[in-house]
This record gives sequence, C-alpha cells and structure tokens, in this order.
Amino acid sequence: MNAIPLVLYILAMVAYAWHFARRQPIVGRSATTLLIFGVLAHTFVIGMETMEFGHIPVAGATSAISTFVWLLALSYLYTELTTDERAMGVFILPLIVALQTIPAVKPSIEARSDVLRGPLFGVHVSSLLFAYASFALACVIGITYMLQFKELKAKHLGFFYTRLPSLQVLDRMNHVAIVIGWVFLTIGLLVGFVWAAQAKSYAGGSPQVQAMSLGDPKILVAVVCWVIYSFELFAARLIGWGGRKTAYLSLIGFTVVMFNFVAISYFLTKSHNF
Amino acid sequence: MKVLLVGISHRTAPVEVRERVDFNVRGLQSALASLASRGSAGEAVILSTCNRAEVYVACEDARAARADVARFMSEFTGVQQSDIDPHIQEFVDLDAAKHLFRVAAGLDSLVVGEPQILGQVKEAHTAATDSHTTGPVLNRLFHSCFAVGKRVRSETGLGSGAVSVSYAAVALAKKIFGDLRGRTVAVIGAGEMGKLTALHVKTQGVHQMTIVSRTLAHAARTAQAIGGASAAPWEELDTVLGASDIVISATGAPQPILTKAHLEQIMRPRRNRPLFIIDIALPRDVEGAAGEIEQVFLYNIDDLQATVRENLARRAGEVTRAESIVEEEVAKFAAWLRSRGAIPTLVALRQRFESIRRSELERLDFKLSTLSPEARARVDEITHLIVEKLLLTPTEQLKSADVESVAAYAEAITRLFALADEEPAASNVEPFARERRRQPH
Repeated sequence: MNAIPLVLYILAMVAYAWHFARRQPIVGRSATTLLIFGVLAHTFVIGMETMEFGHIPVAGATSAISTFVWLLALSYLYTELTTDERAMGVFILPLIVALQTIPAVKPSIEARSDVLRGPLFGVHVSSLLFAYASFALACVIGITYMLQFKELKAKHLGFFYTRLPSLQVLDRMNHVAIVIGWVFLTIGLLVGFVWAAQAKSYAGGSPQVQAMSLGDPKILVAVVCWVIYSFELFAARLIGWGGRKTAYLSLIGFTVVMFNFVAISYFLTKSHNF
Repeated sequence: MKVLLVGISHRTAPVEVRERVDFNVRGLQSALASLASRGSAGEAVILSTCNRAEVYVACEDARAARADVARFMSEFTGVQQSDIDPHIQEFVDLDAAKHLFRVAAGLDSLVVGEPQILGQVKEAHTAATDSHTTGPVLNRLFHSCFAVGKRVRSETGLGSGAVSVSYAAVALAKKIFGDLRGRTVAVIGAGEMGKLTALHVKTQGVHQMTIVSRTLAHAARTAQAIGGASAAPWEELDTVLGASDIVISATGAPQPILTKAHLEQIMRPRRNRPLFIIDIALPRDVEGAAGEIEQVFLYNIDDLQATVRENLARRAGEVTRAESIVEEEVAKFAAWLRSRGAIPTLVALRQRFESIRRSELERLDFKLSTLSPEARARVDEITHLIVEKLLLTPTEQLKSADVESVAAYAEAITRLFALADEEPAASNVEPFARERRRQPH
C-alpha cells in the first residue's frame, strides 16, 4: 500500500525539479498539489494500518520510516504554505522518495512486542520522528544556504542565486527548524530514558530492554545528535559561529540522524530491533 | 476595419528626431483630441515615450489614414514632415498587432525586457479611453498586448536580472538580507555617483541612512539632497560602519580607505551579522582582500557591471520563448479580427429589415389612423419585436461561426437579401466612436 504515496511523491519530485529549472507558476502549483495528494494518500495508508494493528505503525523500523516520511512531507508542506517558498521542495522530495521506497518495497511487519506497552512509548517515538523531520528541513535549508552563500561570495550569480531565498531568511528558517527539532529531540530522549526504566520493572527479561543502555549504538548516537544540536543552538552563536558554519552543523547533524535512523536501526542496535 | 501603426522609435529615428516628436509636450489628451477631429481614424491610441512615438489607429482606409497620421505627427509637433518621413515605420493589421505585442513584452526596447514599457503602454491606452478615442478594435488589441506582457513576464526570464548597476546592487542586497526595510545604510563620500546609488537603495524603504564624508558640510548637503538621511563626521566612520548592514562607498580617495584588517576589527563585535559593501569608487575604496572575511560581501563596480552583462546575456537567451508567446497571441487576435468580418453584414441586414418594417408601417398608415396613439405605439413596438426575433438566430449563428465559414455565410446573406445593392453599410465602429466623443468631459 505504501507504493501509492510513493508514486505520487515521485511525480511531485519531478514537478518540483521541473519548476525549479523552468520556474513556470503552473508547474509549481501542480507540484504542490501532487505533494498534497501524496500526503493525503499516505495519511490514508497510515490510518488503515493504525486500524489494522490497533496502534499507529511506529514500532518496526520500516513502519517508523513510513511515518517519518509522512511527518516530513507534512512539515515541508507547512513550511512551503506559510513562507511561500517552493525552492526547498527540489531538495526535500528526493529524500522523501528515497526513504519511502523502503516501506514500499519491504512491507512492514508490525508485530507489537509486549515491551512496547504504555503511553510513554508513543510520546517517545512521535517526538523523535517529529524532531527528525525538523532536522531534515534544517539540513535542506542549510544546503540551500551554502549554495546561495557560495554564489554570492564567488560573485558568480548563476542558477541558484535567482532561485533560492535570501541568506538571512534561510538562516532564520534554519534556526527555527533547529529550535523545534531540539525541543522534540530532548522530550523524546527524556521520555525514552524514563520509559526504559519503567520497562525494566515489567519486562526485565526481554533482551531488548536489557540492551537499553548508553552502550547500545542507537541510544549512543541519539545522544551524540543531541550534543551536536545543543551545540548548534546554544554554543555556536556565542563563539561567533553562524551563517555557513551553522548550516554545516545542520548538515552533519542530519547525516548522523539518518545513519542512526536507517543503518543502525536495521543492522546494529540490540535495544531497538522490534 | 484596419489596424494601422504609424510611428518612429529608437530603431528607426535618431535621438534628435525622437526628442522633437514628443506628444507629451503639449499633452496626450490634446494630441488625441486633435487626431480625432481630423476624422481619418475611427479609433486612436498614442504611445509616446522617450524611445518611441507611435500612433495606433483603427480605420477604414489604411492608405489615407497613413498619410493623414503622418501629416498629423508633423503638424502637431511642429516638426517638418520631411524630417520625420524618412524615419517612419508603418504596419497594418497583424503586423501592427505583432509590433505592439513585441513592444509590450519589452522585446522592442533599447534594454530588452525592461519593465517600464508595459506600464507606459497601459497609460497610453488609459489616456485614449479617457479621451474617448478608443473603440472595440483597439480595446481588444491593447488588452491582448497587456496579456502578452504579463505572460512574458511570468513565463520567461526576459525581464529577470538587474540590468543597471544600481538595480544590481539592490538585487544583491535583497539576496543577502531579504527585505531591505528596517536595514541601516552607510554612504561613504558625498559625490554624485554615491548619491545616485543611495537614492535607489533609499526607495527600498531602508530604516536609516548615514552619509560620512571628510567634510561634514558636504555630507550634510548630500544627506539633505537624498532626504531623510543624516550626516556624520569622518571620525565616526567606524561607529557608523559597525551599525550598518549595507555600505555604499564612493569617495575620490586615491588609496583604499578600508583595509581588510580594519574591516576585521569592525566585524568582530558584529559576530554573524552580514555586511554588504558596494564599492563603486574608482580607484577602489575597499581592499579586495576584505571580501575574504566570512560575512563580508564585497562587490566593486566591475563585479556589478559583470552581473549586469551576465543578466543581459541571459535575457537574450529568453527572447525566442518570448517571441513564441507573441506569435500565439497574434494568432488569437487574428482569429478575433476575422470573426469581426461578419459585423458589417449583420449591420446591413438589420438596416434592411428595419427599412422594410418602416416602409410597411408607412404604407398601412391610413388603416391604422383610426387607432388611438397608445395602440399605434403598441403596433410599432410589436413589429419592432418581430424584426428583432427574426434577426436573433442568424446574428448568433454568424457570430459564433468559425473563421473559415464567416466569409461564406456573409456572402450568402449579402446575396440572398441583395444587401450589396444598398448604400454600403457604415462601420458600426465609427459612429460609435464619434458619439462617445461628443459626450461632455
């Protein structure tokens, strides 16, 4: 079922790229419309899965990716509709398409382990997924900042100069995305620690719960992400980092997030392999 | 009905002729009134800018109108006709439409794609509407050309990119800061060049503008000339720079007045606040190496001129796309113009029916004489309604017929009702325009 939103996302990606290159208003509107339909179809898929399993499909790595893609598309749409900036779509859609391919090709198996009971688990996962979506936007905004910065500095006002927003607007958008992401990352991690402590009391025998410590790569890397984004948010500007350097930090931070979210979830973690 | 253009432009006439053939000197309204009173043109619009003086008319006889409009241009502006004639260009019907569409799109401008011309064309049409010299043909023509201008602007890059140094500077500033409202600007030097750029930046709604010059009196004078700007003595240069977002530097100093080391010092307390320096002085006021500082964006006059040249080259690449939009809209206008071919036939048909009705009423007058005046008025009304009803369907059919069959239908109607034997039907446009003209202003 995840293939239907994927097809719509691919069409939207083509339209965004076309609009970016040729800048015809009608193509831009079509791109947004396609993305809206993609998100609606995706909402329907997630809704159906929720009915089928009795809970939102976030426990397995594959279904978590699908839900993450949905949140990312939704967050991007919100950004586009509030700022009237369509240029970022050409960067965000490839990410959406690449990630959505995983649930579309590999149908999600959502067997809910007994460990994952309790309301705290839902708060933990949804906070983190939303934080990751914000970081994805911040990363894309950072990339566009670097492209725009490069052309302005090199005094070569070419392809990106005309198509991308101004440096200050991008810097501000990056900051807002990092603030939102950091708040949800913090909530997600704190709730995760509290919930892991609780889980030990009622499901202490489970190998996953036993693996829940800073020694597990998934948890360790999540804390590393928190350190990176905390530095970007609080320390970077104090020591005179800003503009291009915070843009780099957003890119590095999200690379680590993606590594944790996809590679570690599938292959390395012992605590989060539900 | 023919559309005719007679005029001169920067392509056909030297500036000495163009500056004398200027309809704006004595007012466009009086020019339009004067042209209308000559009677050769049913409808008229005059487009007069510093690069062109063009008269668009809708008329019955293009050759007569062409000669008369050329005479009018000479008589109204007081320029010898022998001085104008060699430079005149003229276009009829679709060629005239194509020319106007290209003008509105900015394709015929000195700087291709410049945006002002569309506004000037709109003003010319509004002036003609106010003077009641337009009618259905020119209204349609001009509304089509506005559509061309709009399409070219939104669908091509013909008008994109700044093509003058001041515009390029403002465009760059917007790519760094976004909105320029609320920004602080410093101008170093009180000369003319800096003032011109500062004036343009000022129109973007900047918050504060400070002029710094070695002579405070000069700075104060320039600040006053710009309006809403303040002056500061040379000693406060560092303070002013520290508080500014944009710096326009245009002094006559033989040595750089801002070195990289100096700017690093100024930038340190600013942290990440960008500083955009526009160095339009020759020799340069700001050391080139200063552009290496992370948040300093340094553009000198050569850099700005290079972006202007790049933009001009990019515009040239968009010309083909703009031309194809022009061709599309010319084709649409051509279809409309041809469908208008039915109108004289319809007018003649209506006149024939009406004259039959009147002559029959007159013939039967003695039989109706016993009726009361109210009843006679009623008869008149009923017969009128019958004629209207009879004409309704053929009128609609003929107007909605496709371009190819209009001529055949018109021919058939003309023959069937022997319309050609009558007085040739006057165009419905000319009386319309004359009637409108008579209205008091």
